[in-house]
Amino acid sequence: MEPNDSELCKKIGFMCGIEIHQRLATREKLFCSCPTAVPPSDEKPVGSVKRHQRAVAGELGKIDLSAEYEELKDREFTYNIYDNNACLVEIDEEPPHDLNNDALCIAIAFAKSLKMDIVDEFQTMRKSVVNGSNPSAFQRTMLIGLNGEIETSDGIKTKIMKLFLEEESSGIESSSHNAVVYNTDRLGIPLVEIDTDPYIPTPAAAKSVALTIGTMLRVSGSVQRGLGTIRQDVNVSIRGGSRVEIKGMQELDKMDKFIINEITRQQSLLEIKDTLQSIDAKVHQGMDVTEIFRNTKVKVITGQTEKGGVVIGFRLQGFKGLLGKEVNPERRLGTEISDYAKAAGVNGIIHSDEDMGKYGFSNDELSKLAAALSLGENDAFALIAGQQPHASKAASLAINRAQMCFDGVPLETRGVANTELCTTKFMRPLPTSSRMYPETDVRPIITTAEMLKVAERDAPDIAAERASLKKQLSNESLASNMIMSPRLGMYKRIVSSCQADPVFVANVLLQKFTELKRSGLDVDYIPESSIIDIFSKYADGTVTKQGIDELLKAASSGTTDIASAINKRNLARVKGENLAKLISSISSEIKSTEPDKIRRAIMSKYRLNVDGSELNELLNKSKQ
Amino acid sequence: MVKVYGEEIQRMLDGHGIKVGDQIRLKMGNVELDGELMPKANIGSRDTIIIKMADGYNIGMRLTSGLEIKKLADGVPNIASFPKISLKRVESAPDVSLIYTGGTIGSRVDYETGGVSMLLKPEELLYKVPEIQGIANISVDMLMSVASEDLSYHEWGRIAESVAKALNNSARGAIITIGTDAMHYTAAALSFMLKDLNGPVVLTGAQRSSDRGSSDGFINLVCAAQLASKSDIAEVGICMHNDESDGKCAYIRGVKARKMHTSRRDAFRPINDKPMAYVWPSGEIKYAKSYNKVDANKHGKVTVMPNFDPRVAIVKVYPNSNPKIIDFYVNEGYRGIIIEGTGLGHAPVSTGHQDLLWLPHIKYALDNGLIVGMTSQCLYGRVHPNVYKNLRLLSNIGVIYCDDMMAEVAQIKLGWLLGNYKVDEAKAMLNKNIAGEIKSRLEFDEFLV
Repeated sequence: MEPNDSELCKKIGFMCGIEIHQRLATREKLFCSCPTAVPPSDEKPVGSVKRHQRAVAGELGKIDLSAEYEELKDREFTYNIYDNNACLVEIDEEPPHDLNNDALCIAIAFAKSLKMDIVDEFQTMRKSVVNGSNPSAFQRTMLIGLNGEIETSDGIKTKIMKLFLEEESSGIESSSHNAVVYNTDRLGIPLVEIDTDPYIPTPAAAKSVALTIGTMLRVSGSVQRGLGTIRQDVNVSIRGGSRVEIKGMQELDKMDKFIINEITRQQSLLEIKDTLQSIDAKVHQGMDVTEIFRNTKVKVITGQTEKGGVVIGFRLQGFKGLLGKEVNPERRLGTEISDYAKAAGVNGIIHSDEDMGKYGFSNDELSKLAAALSLGENDAFALIAGQQPHASKAASLAINRAQMCFDGVPLETRGVANTELCTTKFMRPLPTSSRMYPETDVRPIITTAEMLKVAERDAPDIAAERASLKKQLSNESLASNMIMSPRLGMYKRIVSSCQADPVFVANVLLQKFTELKRSGLDVDYIPESSIIDIFSKYADGTVTKQGIDELLKAASSGTTDIASAINKRNLARVKGENLAKLISSISSEIKSTEPDKIRRAIMSKYRLNVDGSELNELLNKSKQ
Repeated sequence: MVKVYGEEIQRMLDGHGIKVGDQIRLKMGNVELDGELMPKANIGSRDTIIIKMADGYNIGMRLTSGLEIKKLADGVPNIASFPKISLKRVESAPDVSLIYTGGTIGSRVDYETGGVSMLLKPEELLYKVPEIQGIANISVDMLMSVASEDLSYHEWGRIAESVAKALNNSARGAIITIGTDAMHYTAAALSFMLKDLNGPVVLTGAQRSSDRGSSDGFINLVCAAQLASKSDIAEVGICMHNDESDGKCAYIRGVKARKMHTSRRDAFRPINDKPMAYVWPSGEIKYAKSYNKVDANKHGKVTVMPNFDPRVAIVKVYPNSNPKIIDFYVNEGYRGIIIEGTGLGHAPVSTGHQDLLWLPHIKYALDNGLIVGMTSQCLYGRVHPNVYKNLRLLSNIGVIYCDDMMAEVAQIKLGWLLGNYKVDEAKAMLNKNIAGEIKSRLEFDEFLV
């Protein structure tokens, strides 16, 4: 389908809403004084703590006995601690400090920009988290605004339901079935979550809305930039299907493709459902079939049975051909079922719509299996090999998923399976209603008129920003590109702190940076102070435009002392009298007074040091 | 029904027949909010109505002239309702008495104060640690629900009596769940009050309230149950996290334990001592070299000496401190003073500034029949009556040097001695070991443990 096919979307009952999570560029974290700058990736933790978590009763005395909570009991969480980036608050050894007022002001300003109603009292809540990503077992979050609206540049109006200010969770370092290692460096960084209503009309519109919200956030200049600082989650469903949440799309550009694939997936699952309902289909219980494969040559089985593992098989009556049905590029129904089994810590399933010869099954094994499972002509089967108790758990999850085929689309949270193909895979069941209770360590904050006034003043205004950029750059498309660029804030700070020509600065930031990045240079990690320094050196005539490229290359490999880099790399600009002297010395060297020849000779040797237009000017002057 | 809103809001709610737990709609201009009416915490504005929306968030709406309120449906307030748990008896497991006294381990969100308070029922506590069932047959004694800072010698006596009663019946050990701030004081008091102990008396609690999934109380409780049901330590001790991880707990002698951090899980440390044991939730116990062992052949009863004289003060010496504080206590009828001196047990006794000179005031106390003990604010190490001349000046007039006892322990010990013995006896016993509070040997690896 086309991403902007609104007729089709209406026909299939397409529903879609997005959630944007954006880290704020405050100096300190939301509830403590640790800095929000994440340490370099090669920094080693100074220590770690190991914890267990349990199910507890929330505010209303109700306890949630979901399976997730049951699992929690056996899981060990390790939290890595980095020298400057975590104190006792992050590792749940000290109560939270007062709420970071800067973060609150930024969040209210965003809500104002989205024309939201601001709540009268900001109540910090504890949202129970079952995956261990927060050592306290909950995430602190508060509702800031309600009932907003945003309009994209192509005229799509979308309601913004809610805006929250909350803590960032821990980053995952590694994970296995019973143990997860988290890094606490980013834990507690202020984050805003912006939720739209579920009525975004098309996949293209979803991307456009996300882009517009992202632009508003960047225009504010108060958000972090770089990988992982903004996350977009999408909720998608079609008529007859179910709400599915897609998490972890790194590139906004591909959001529409992910959504289209989800539509296709739900349609395929609904077709499968129809097929199953029209025949005599049934999912049968699992059975231990280890003995059949006692002497097998199938490596995925021997790898487990030789370590004392088991093989569990189950009959999928009437499923023949369906397991191999493609639901998304390179993903079949069998893959969907397999992902559930993997959640229990096995390698997946083997199913009968696969090439049995490739695995190395013998005919004898297959016929014994068919007899054991009482397989009929139109039946399929699935096998799970693994260690106990994981294998049994995996079988029950897989059987459960197969059973869900009769209902169509399961409610799921899905993560990215393949970035290129824009496909997703099962992560966990969609959480039921949030388990929330008040954070009693933090007092509620009453909204004041003063707060709202400040927010009104600071509310990012895309239209005003666009107008001012257009004026400054006298070029509509350059202004549009700049406003969408993650380097917008940097651009504004450069042109306000030095005399460099805004058009030139914009072009370098938009084109040169992309070019250098493609050539493998880490331009995103150049400190902003160095970049400002480089442009200042250009503005005051110390280096040429070409010199800037060289300095950016030097800075991206770690140089921060720009002045000495200019000397070391021989980048000082030759200008005025010195350039005139250079012209006459080159002229005598090449024994010619022809401007073209002199220009060529100079540029071949001093390309980085001489400004072309100044050279032309001087050469023209000498000709006259 | 709890009425915690401001009067005006309460009137409005009453007028609409709305009670906490009902589904209501709040309307203000074009803003419309549906949700469950929550009880209002005493924090934040009392003029704000709090509802819980469908997504779980609490939201406050200020009472202003345009606010409309409508009842949508009756609700059942289900605060603090909790599934009742029946503990199954395991014949192979020993009987253990759990004496509940309050504290963070038994606390949850309280709307009156907005803080955490002691509303928990024991079954809720045990519900979260089902594994305790296989470890011991727990009988819960809901003795009291008192916050740490409110515990006094009145409660210590009751707790001691409960422990003795349990141990003299079928229990092989006792667990006392208690607020952590008071834990080491109570542990010290019980150490003196309980006589002929022949089983473990384990105090435990939580630094994080048990209404959060990350509470340390769960593992502390499991480890306490392991100690009470398995260990052969016939002493009063504190069982809390050994470090910041949920790995093992340390069992620290009651008279040698001190809370050394306001909030960390591993706040309790042994002072001038090592833990009597380390215990893992699995039941593994690693014992230290020496402790009073349970004697299987001993069948005598545990007795209690619960009397306590609270007229013993702790006075801290510091630069520029006013020694007249001693006179105050003497004139108030106090019977003992424990000085928390500097270093080896100093107080200013030879300064030329008469207003800062402690010696005459201490002498005044002694002349009036008070017992004066000297401890050190260093916490670690032993005081000494002889090393310096100034120390000798104090010991010569009758100040009792309390060896390696902490000031808090010395104060409790003296209060207990004065409650149960004649003054002369109490004086003689103050620096003699009774319950492990004075050690003849301080070992090199007992510092900052």
